[in-house]
Amino acid sequence: MAAAARPLVSVQPLPGSLNDMSTDHVTTVALPDVMKASIRPDIVNFVHSNISKNSRQPYAVSKKAGHQTSAESWGTGRAVSRIPRVSGGGTHRAGQGAFGNMCRGGRMFAPTKTWRRWHRKVNVNQKRYAVVSAIAASSIPSLVMARGHRVESVPEMPLVISDSAESIEKTSTAIKVLKEIGAYPDAEKAKDSHAIRPGKGKMRNRRYISRKGPLIVYGTEGAKLVKAFRNIPGVEVANVERLNLLKLAPGGHLGRFVIWTKSAIEKLDSIYGSFEKCSEKKKGYVLPRSKMVNADLARIINSDEVQSVVKPIKKEMKRASLKKNPLKNLNVMLKLNPYAKTARRMALLAEAERVKSKKEKLDKKRKPVSKEELAAAKAAGKAWYKTMISDSDYTEFDNFTKWLGVSQ
Amino acid sequence: MIKRPSRGKKKRGFGMATVPGQLIWEMVKKNNCFLVKQFGRGTASLRFSKESNNLYNLNSYKHSGLANKKTVTIQAADKDQAVVLATSKTKKQNKPASLYHKSVMKKEFRRMAKAVENQVEGNYYRPDLKKAALARLSAVHRSLKVAKSGVKKSKRQALKIRV
Repeated sequence: MAAAARPLVSVQPLPGSLNDMSTDHVTTVALPDVMKASIRPDIVNFVHSNISKNSRQPYAVSKKAGHQTSAESWGTGRAVSRIPRVSGGGTHRAGQGAFGNMCRGGRMFAPTKTWRRWHRKVNVNQKRYAVVSAIAASSIPSLVMARGHRVESVPEMPLVISDSAESIEKTSTAIKVLKEIGAYPDAEKAKDSHAIRPGKGKMRNRRYISRKGPLIVYGTEGAKLVKAFRNIPGVEVANVERLNLLKLAPGGHLGRFVIWTKSAIEKLDSIYGSFEKCSEKKKGYVLPRSKMVNADLARIINSDEVQSVVKPIKKEMKRASLKKNPLKNLNVMLKLNPYAKTARRMALLAEAERVKSKKEKLDKKRKPVSKEELAAAKAAGKAWYKTMISDSDYTEFDNFTKWLGVSQ
Repeated sequence: MIKRPSRGKKKRGFGMATVPGQLIWEMVKKNNCFLVKQFGRGTASLRFSKESNNLYNLNSYKHSGLANKKTVTIQAADKDQAVVLATSKTKKQNKPASLYHKSVMKKEFRRMAKAVENQVEGNYYRPDLKKAALARLSAVHRSLKVAKSGVKKSKRQALKIRV
């Protein structure tokens, strides 16, 4: 990524008392690549919770606690529970239960030990990823505001001030500078929030709590501004070369309000490198690659490249209709089988025919037969009989002559 | 789009160092200093937001003042009866001091409503926020009237003042 493609951040000039910048026009610095790294709240949270364990001091109960008695169980048969009891006599303590976690004056369950694993090792790459993420998040006003810093009157994020700030010696000028650059409301918020901690912490040497204000990052070693800014409540100071995740993302929450000096921001490129170029200070370290280079989904979806290939929106929703029985509903049947119409028509016609012919037949039968018809029917019967005889040569057989009667 | 918990979308932008609103929203929706979880009638499922740029004061992507490039806000101004309408400028996302177009309105209600509507919908600025903006305008205006005439002392007085 060429430096020309990077946006410019303007350096805020400082008030007239620090004269070398006030006469100058406003200069600009190219945004360091770190600020464009992926922002990963999950990694930051993980690393933060592990790193913050590293400054813990061990605590434990005394090894001997609860065992400095020569108690023995009285055994059964004495109408008391079988807990070891303190031997001896002449004092309250005699006969009281001892040793158990349930006993008064006994040792606790699982006495805490100093060799608990207090510190956590975190992979160097993860630690660097987290710091890089936190730096990137600090340049986004939304995230900084979401963390609670009052940055409404800050002229630009990331906030860069000129190097003349590094030679500020007096705290009073430091405060004036903060007011000039719009960072004072945040420092003021921190000052106003100084309160006594609720809870037992207040009697354990953690009496006061307050909000975090801006973090000032300077570039040159031994800059005088450290002494000037450090007494302002809420304000912290850090050197670029030694940025601490616990300060950049306090509580594991991204988006600390950071004020950079010009030399600090210029150093960031050499400390962290870019996405392609290795860092100079960290051997072989390259800024982490993101999963999505362009994460602006709305723009991607609405872009020409995508929209030109996408099918048009289906505005009409075809809903599931009620299934109708084709055997009962003719129209549905026709949708499935158009021939059914003619088939049914034929069936109906045939049925009508049948009915008609049956009726005719019955009518005919029910009607009394006329004489001519009757005679014709009888004659037809006789004729058939005769043909039956002639057709089959019954006369050959003697048996039949008896009842056959006369031959033809 | 598939939402995976706490695995924020990673970003690498050219040009402006602004992170897209969706990404900011994923990071901010669960935890930010403006989040209010009370008043949910026993559940914490109703999340309010105390940001100044949130029209409904609801913690949601559409209304969020943090995650959107274009936001609208209506507040009471310091002066009596005046209302401030502020919209954010899209090009100045990383300059918080000069981010907002503020205009103080002290007209009669109908005129103000027309102005708000034009700003929010007429310019196609954020047409989906028009109703919210007008609703908030009414609420702010009403509260200013109350502030001016004092809290009602009796129900009768309320009837008289209601315009």
